[in-house]
Amino acid sequence: MNTFADRFSTTTAASQLRHAQKLAEEEEFDATMWGSSAGFGSLTKGVPTFTVPAVPDPTAFLRLHTDDHADPSCRIKIKHGTTTLAFRFQGGVIVAVDSRATAGSYIASGTVKKVIEINPYLLGTMAGGAADCQFWETYLGMHCRLHELRNRERISVSAASKYLSNLVYSYKGMGLSMGTMICGWDKTGPAVFYVDSDGTRLKGDLFAVGSGSTFAYGVLDQGYRWDLTDEEAQELGRRSIYAAGHRDAFSGNTCNLYHVKEAGWTFLGNYDISQMHYEGPGDVPGAPGGGYGYDIRVEGRNSSDPPEEAAAA
Amino acid sequence: MASVYSPPGFNFSNEIRNNFLLEKGLPLPKATSTGTTIVGCLFKDGIVLGADTRATEGPIVADKNCEKIHYITENIRCCGAGTAADTEFTTALISSNMELHALSTGRKPRVVTAMTMLKQMLYRYQGHVGAALVLGGVDATGPHLFTIHPHGSTDKLPYVTMGSGSLAAMAVFESGWRADMSRDEALNLVKAAISAGIFNDLGSGSNVDACIITATHTELLRNVEMPNQRVEKERKYAFRRGTTAWKNQTVRDLIVKEELTTVGAGPGEAMDTT
Amino acid sequence: MSIMELNGGSVIAMVGKDCVAIASDLRLGNQALGISANFQKIFPVTDRIYLGLPGLATDVTTLRERFRFRVNMYTIKEEREIEPETFARLVSSTLYEHRFGPYFIEPVMAGLSKTPSGGYKPFIAAADLIGCLNFAKDFVVAGTASSKLYGVAEGLWEPDLEPEDLFETISQTLLNAVDRDAYSGWGCVVHVITKDKVVTRTLKGRMD
Repeated sequence: MNTFADRFSTTTAASQLRHAQKLAEEEEFDATMWGSSAGFGSLTKGVPTFTVPAVPDPTAFLRLHTDDHADPSCRIKIKHGTTTLAFRFQGGVIVAVDSRATAGSYIASGTVKKVIEINPYLLGTMAGGAADCQFWETYLGMHCRLHELRNRERISVSAASKYLSNLVYSYKGMGLSMGTMICGWDKTGPAVFYVDSDGTRLKGDLFAVGSGSTFAYGVLDQGYRWDLTDEEAQELGRRSIYAAGHRDAFSGNTCNLYHVKEAGWTFLGNYDISQMHYEGPGDVPGAPGGGYGYDIRVEGRNSSDPPEEAAAA
Repeated sequence: MASVYSPPGFNFSNEIRNNFLLEKGLPLPKATSTGTTIVGCLFKDGIVLGADTRATEGPIVADKNCEKIHYITENIRCCGAGTAADTEFTTALISSNMELHALSTGRKPRVVTAMTMLKQMLYRYQGHVGAALVLGGVDATGPHLFTIHPHGSTDKLPYVTMGSGSLAAMAVFESGWRADMSRDEALNLVKAAISAGIFNDLGSGSNVDACIITATHTELLRNVEMPNQRVEKERKYAFRRGTTAWKNQTVRDLIVKEELTTVGAGPGEAMDTT
Repeated sequence: MSIMELNGGSVIAMVGKDCVAIASDLRLGNQALGISANFQKIFPVTDRIYLGLPGLATDVTTLRERFRFRVNMYTIKEEREIEPETFARLVSSTLYEHRFGPYFIEPVMAGLSKTPSGGYKPFIAAADLIGCLNFAKDFVVAGTASSKLYGVAEGLWEPDLEPEDLFETISQTLLNAVDRDAYSGWGCVVHVITKDKVVTRTLKGRMD
C-alpha cells in the first residue's frame, strides 16, 4: 500500500528523486543553451507536448468542444471564413490572401495578416484556426533554422511541409484546424505544398484554400499558364482574391500580395478590395486600368444602358 | 392568393415551409419579449398597477420606453409580461370582447369576467400564447387583483408581481405591504417595487409606469418615475454635408401642380377649323 | 446560422426635423454567397409611407404584394389614403395572424402622418416577426446587422436634423454598420421623406 502511495504522490523524496532522474535522462541539452524556449518547449525533444484533458478519451472530448460543424453550440469557435491562394509559374510563386476575420456574422477584423513569413525563403498561408496556423508555422520556422544549422543548407519546401504535416498528423482528431500552403523556392525551383490539419499534404502548381476558394479558382483557372510574366501573374493573384472578396461574405476587406523568387520573397502590396471594385488596384504593373467591378466594366455597354449605336439600331 | 376571403383566427399556411426550414437546423429568429417587472397591489380605495418600460430581443434592448399597462375597460387594466406580441394582442382581443359584453348586457363589466376570458383563451392555447398577466380593476363588487399565467392558471391576491423582476419586486412588497394603505403609500410602494426590478433585474429597465384604479376614477401615470434619463450628448455628431458618396438620385415630387386650361375658345377667338 | 441569415439584409429608419429617412442595404445572398447587389427591400406604400422588409427574400416578395393588396382594399373601402399609424397596425395584425407559422420578416416603417391642423408629423415604427410594434421617437433598426446598427445609431443620432443632415447621419450609420456585418452590404439605398418630396439616393458602399 505504501509503495502504491509513494509511486503516485508528488511530494515524497523518492518521487522527487525519480522526477529529477527522469529530467536528466530526457534533457540532452540544458534549456539555457538555447536561450528562451519562448513557449515552444525544448526543441531537442522534437515535438512540443500539450496537456490533454484528463478524461478517458481526450480526442472525443476535444472534438465535442471544438467541432462546430457537428455541434454549432460548441464552446470553442474556430474562425472559418478566408480566401488564400498560391500558384507556381515560370517566374516563381505568387501568394495572395484576403484580410477578413469573422466571428459568426460579425466582421471582427479587416486587417488580418494571413501570410506567415516563416523565413526569407518560405511563406505559409493561414486558413482555419488563426492561432493554430500562427503557432505551428512559427514553430516550423524554428525547425527550418535548426535544419540549416545542422546541414549547412536551406531546407527544401518539400521537407519543411512534410515536417508540418507529420506534426499536425500527430495531433489528428484533437481539434487542430488549419489549411495552409507552404510556398518557397529551393534547389528544385519554385514550389507550393498544401498541408491541412487532417494530415493531407499535396504538391501542386496552384491551390486556393478557404470559404472563398471556389471563386478564386474560377478566376485563377481561367488565367493560369506556366509562362505567365511576373506582372501578369501578380495581376492574376490580385484579381482572384478580388473575385472571392466580392462574392464571399466571409472574405474581403483587403488583399495582401507576395511574390517568391529565387532570392526569396518580396511583399508587393496591400490592395483594398472595394477600391479594386470601383477604381482598380491603382498604378501597379499588370493592372488593366479601371475597376474590376462588373457594373463598372460594363457601364454604358449593357442591356439597361446600351451603347448609342446599339440603342439606335 | 386563391381566395380574397380569409377565415378568422390564426393562419397556419407557413407551417410546412417553416418546419422544413427548422429541420435544416435553422433556429427561429427571436421575438420581442418583455423580460419585465410588473406588479399590482390593493389599497384602501382600489388597485395600483405598476410596470417597467423595457422590451428586449435576446440580449438587446429593443424598446427603451414601451407601454406594458394595457387597456381592458375604463375600470380594468392589465399588465403584460412574456412574448410582447402575445400580451399586446391577447389584451386587445379581450378588451374588444369586454366592450361587446358590456354593450350586450348593459352593465359595467366585472374584473372576474375579463379574468375568465383571459384564462380560458390562454388555457385553450396550452401555453403557446406566451402571456403572463397581472389584471386589476374595480367593479360593482369591489377591487380585484389577479395574476394569470401563460397556461391559464390564476391567483387572486392582495399584492402580486410577475415577470423576470418578480422576485425583486416581491421582496419589496413582502416587507412593505400593509392592509388599508392610502393612495400615496400604495403608489410609493409600487414605485419602489418596480424600481427594485429596474435596478436588480437585467430583463427590466428604464422608467416606471403606474395606474391607479378606484371606484370612481382611473388614472394612468405614464413614466411616473424616470430614474434612467440619458444626459444630453456634450458634442454634436452631425456630419458635414457631402460626407457620403452617392451614385445617383431620384426625386419624387409630392406637390400637386395644377394648371388651368380654358376649354372652349372665348368669343373673340374662334377655333381654327380649316 | 438563423433563417434571417439565409438571404441577409438590414434596414434602418430615423426621425429628423419635419422629415423621416429610411435606408437599406442592397444585398441578396444565399448564405455566404452574394447573389445580387440590387435587391430592393424598401417599398413605397403611399406617397408618404415607405416600408422596409428585411428577412427571408421569399417573404419580402410575398408580404410586399400582400400589403399592396390590403392597402388597396383599405383605400377602396375608406375612400382615403391610409395613415402611417393605421398602416403599422395593419402590418402588425397581418404578421400576428401568422403567430404560429410566421413570415421571417422584421418590418420597418417610415412616413409622415397628417396632423389635424393640416401639417405633417414624422412617424417611424418597427415590428418583430410576429408583429409586436415598436414606436420609437429616434430610430428603429432590423435585419442581420441590427445589433451593429443599434450601436452606431445610438452614437450618431441627434434630434431635429434637417433633411440633408439626416441623410448624412442615416447613410453613415448604415454604411459603417454593414461594413461590420458579413450578411449585409453590397451597396445601400436611402429615402428621405419630406412634406413635399421624397429624395432617393443610391450610395457608394463597400462591395466585399
